[in-house]
Formats: sequence, C-alpha cells, structure tokens
Amino acid sequence: MPLTIILSLVYCLILAPDIYGYIDPGTGSYMLQILIASFVGILFSVKIFWAKLAIFVKSIFSKKDR
Amino acid sequence: MNALNDSVRHPASFRDPSGFIFYREDILYRQINQVYKQNYDYLMESGLYETLIKNELLISHKAEDIPPFLPDRYYKTIRPKPLSFISYPYEWCFSQLKDAALLTLQIQKLSIEKDMTLKDASAYNIQFQDGAPIFIDTLSFEKLIPDEPWVAYRQFCQHFLAPLALMSYRDMRLGMLLRSNIDGIPLDLASQILPKITHLNLTLQLNIHMHAKSQSKYTDNVNAKDNIKKRISKHAQFAMIDNLESGIRKLKWKPGQTEWGDYYDKTNYSSGALQFKQNCVKSFISKVKPKMVWDFGANMGFFTKIATDNNIPSIAFDIDPVAVEKNYLASAKSKNKLMLPLIFDLLNPSPSIGWHNRERDSLSERGPVDMCMGLALVHHLAISNNIPIRNIAKFFNSTCRWLIIEFIPKTDSQVQRLLMTREDIFDDYTREFFESEFSQYFSIITATEIIESERVIYLMKKKIDSKP
Repeated sequence: MPLTIILSLVYCLILAPDIYGYIDPGTGSYMLQILIASFVGILFSVKIFWAKLAIFVKSIFSKKDR
Repeated sequence: MNALNDSVRHPASFRDPSGFIFYREDILYRQINQVYKQNYDYLMESGLYETLIKNELLISHKAEDIPPFLPDRYYKTIRPKPLSFISYPYEWCFSQLKDAALLTLQIQKLSIEKDMTLKDASAYNIQFQDGAPIFIDTLSFEKLIPDEPWVAYRQFCQHFLAPLALMSYRDMRLGMLLRSNIDGIPLDLASQILPKITHLNLTLQLNIHMHAKSQSKYTDNVNAKDNIKKRISKHAQFAMIDNLESGIRKLKWKPGQTEWGDYYDKTNYSSGALQFKQNCVKSFISKVKPKMVWDFGANMGFFTKIATDNNIPSIAFDIDPVAVEKNYLASAKSKNKLMLPLIFDLLNPSPSIGWHNRERDSLSERGPVDMCMGLALVHHLAISNNIPIRNIAKFFNSTCRWLIIEFIPKTDSQVQRLLMTREDIFDDYTREFFESEFSQYFSIITATEIIESERVIYLMKKKIDSKP
C-alpha cells in the first residue's frame, strides 16, 4: 500500500498533465514501460527471493518431519 | 471451377503485412508472406510452436502445398485447425475475458523464454474452443529485439486490463464498451471511470492510471523514445508480465442476484412438466442430430446441456451476464467442452463492426446454424417487447434449418405476470395464430403439449420456399 502512495506522488511529479495534441499513444506506452521497468523488476526479484526462501524453509521442516 | 477463382480473402484480414487468411472451397487457409519468413521459421524451429501446441495454447496448423493466393508475396500456405464458432470479446462474460487475458500473458512469457514476443495482444486473437480459450493468430510472433519494450503492451491494457478492471470495480455491463471501441477501451476513459480506490492497486495504478497519463504526456513528443538511453531487460519484461498477471488474477467479479439467476426455482413448472419438456428436447435433438445448436435465452444452459450431452457443440446465448458467468464457470468445472455460453441481446444483436463494417461479423453473418432453440422465449419477445410473431418466425427462418420452440399461452401464470404491468394489446397472441405465422416459414413436424402445463413445444423444419 505505501508503495502505491509513493507511486501516486511520482505520477503527479513526473507525469504531470500535458497538452493534448496529435495522438500518438504508442510513445507513452513505450516510455512508461521504460520508466517503471526497474521498479517492477526490483519487486519481481523480491517476490522470487521470498518464493525461494519459502521453498527452502519448507524443505528444512519437511526433512525434520522425516 | 479454377481454385484461384474460388478463393476469397477474409475481410478482417488486411492489417498485418505478414500474411492473411482466405477461404478456398469453404476451407480456411492462411498465406504467410515472404516478409514473415524469418519469424515463422523461428517460431517453428525454436520449439515455441511445439510448446504452445503441447499446452493447447495455440491453434495448430499444417503446411499445405496448394497454389498460392498472392504468388508475388508468397512464402507458405498453412491450414489452421478449424474452429466451430467465432465469438467476440463483447460477447464474453467476465471470467471468459479474464481467462483470455491470462492465456495471452502465458503465451507472452513462453515467447520471451524462446526469444520471441507477441506483436499483437488483441482479444480478437483469442477464441473459445473445447471449453477453453486458445490463441488463433500464428503470425503474431516475432523475434525479440533485445532490451526493447513490449510493443503490444498498450493493446493488452486496452483489450483486457481496462475492461476487466471496469467490470470488477464498477459494473459488469461496462464490458460492452468493447463493442463500441474495437481496439479496446481507451486508457484515459478507463482511468476516469475507475473509482479512486484503484489508485492504490499497484497493477491498476501502473498500467492504467499512470499509463493513461504517460500517453497524454508523450502525445506530442514522438522523438522521446529515440532520445532515451535506458532500455528494458528480459528480467524487467518478465516482471511487467508478472505484475499484470497477479493483478488480473486478483480482479474478481462476484455474480450477484439477477432477474434470471434463479430462474428455474421461480418457474411455474412442476417437476413432471420440466422432466417432460427435457425428454421432448432430447428426442427432437436425437431425431435431427444437428451439427451445432444455438440456444437463445438459454439462461444457465439447462436445456443446452441436453445437446452437449449428445456430443453436439452448442452455444448458450443469454442477455444476463450473471447467467452466462455461472454457466461458463459450471461448464468449466464439469469439463463440458462443448458448451459455449455467450452474452447476447436478441433485441439488439451483435452488429457488423470495424472497417467497412466487415471486420467483425454480426450474428446472422456467423450463421445459419443447423438447429436453434427458443424455449420460454416467445412471450418475452412478443409481449414484453412488442415483436410481432411473424418477425420472430422470420428471424429464426434466416438463422436455422431446424427449430425447437415453445409457445406459452396468455393463461399461463408467467405470461400473466408480464401482462400485469402492461395493457393487453396482444389479441393475436394465441396458439392458432402462432402456428399459422410460423407455418409461413417452417413446417411443423411435431407439436407436443407439455403435461401439467398449458405450454406447447414444437419441432419445426425450415421451409426452403418461405417468404422473404
């Protein structure tokens, strides 16, 4: 939740509303992916780390059970 | 006739220079152009095609050695496995669109693993076959350019994420926006309609709200992407997909109470009458042995299931998204692969849309079908909506060859309920008039009175020389 609040601030600062003109929505989609790539990349790494850790901990307990 | 002269290019297949689909002697083929040669060969040789086929994610095809449709661009002709019916995203319920979205992301993940990527993430590239979504565009795969963002990202958000979020957070009926927006729901529109709480949902914040802002921010700055040095790694691409996937999995839509949701508990059928009606439908279907059945006003597919139990692929059309959602989930649970539930308003059917009104077919262009069913339907059309009985007969005449239809007289308590709130201006609504009007367009093969009720169920056969 706090992450999304920070993101909302970033969104206001970096992506402040601009003037509409000749529409090229493709550039915005391209730029957004680059802008958020590192952020989601870090989250994904953490997610993978936790998943691996959970498997590791589980395997320790299952060994003990045996 | 010369085979080339008998070939017709599909009117919706014109955007992608990689190839196109065409019909020859009623068989659907896909021409692959020289420009797509490298990508097609890579798809087939990298093991990606094999993986996708093995997991039933992509429609299979075989190469065909036939005279090319357009020889100057020709590389190969392939023959995709035929589909029994083409449906569109605006006819799907929430879970159908969600499953189609997750399938697209799964394919994109597998593609990246094999150094390929989807250049299209259109919901129209998905069809429902054997009870599950399947990707149908073999030419959507291209070699991954290292560190380049996903070119179909915007399309994915417009075709899948935005409608799913709107249906989940606002109203199921917002899925119908896909009918008026053929390339998906514009993200600025979705961002405006979604409630403020969605700003706290990471997936929706990033991929809809910030995405919409980003689009307006870079509207006039088309050179921005050439100036930026930073690129996107494969890890980040997987991360983007993971974010979309987990966000979409969390989107829920709980079917609430509906006018029709508990229909079979509220009907005036006795259990004997219901059983009798079921037996009639069963015997009519066994007699005709249709290749396909379209059941209009199918509710949760109670009677459609009789056709699917007889191994007949069937479509359960209903106006109520709750009934369609429940039918889809129940059919998936019971592994009924022949049932396709779709949202459909008989009073305002899916029209032809897109370029030249020929990209997406109306329902009538997707017919006619061997058999239609209209059970407990006519009184809703004739009394609730003032559709003349002759027009109902005409509709079915242009839609099917065989018809199972039920007539419910005015004396029936369900019809009485309809008449309670409106003036009875329906003098012609009688069994005799119904039969005489339908006889203009159909031969009545069997008319059976349903026991313990005043209803009549008919098996009819289309008259070839019927009036237009």
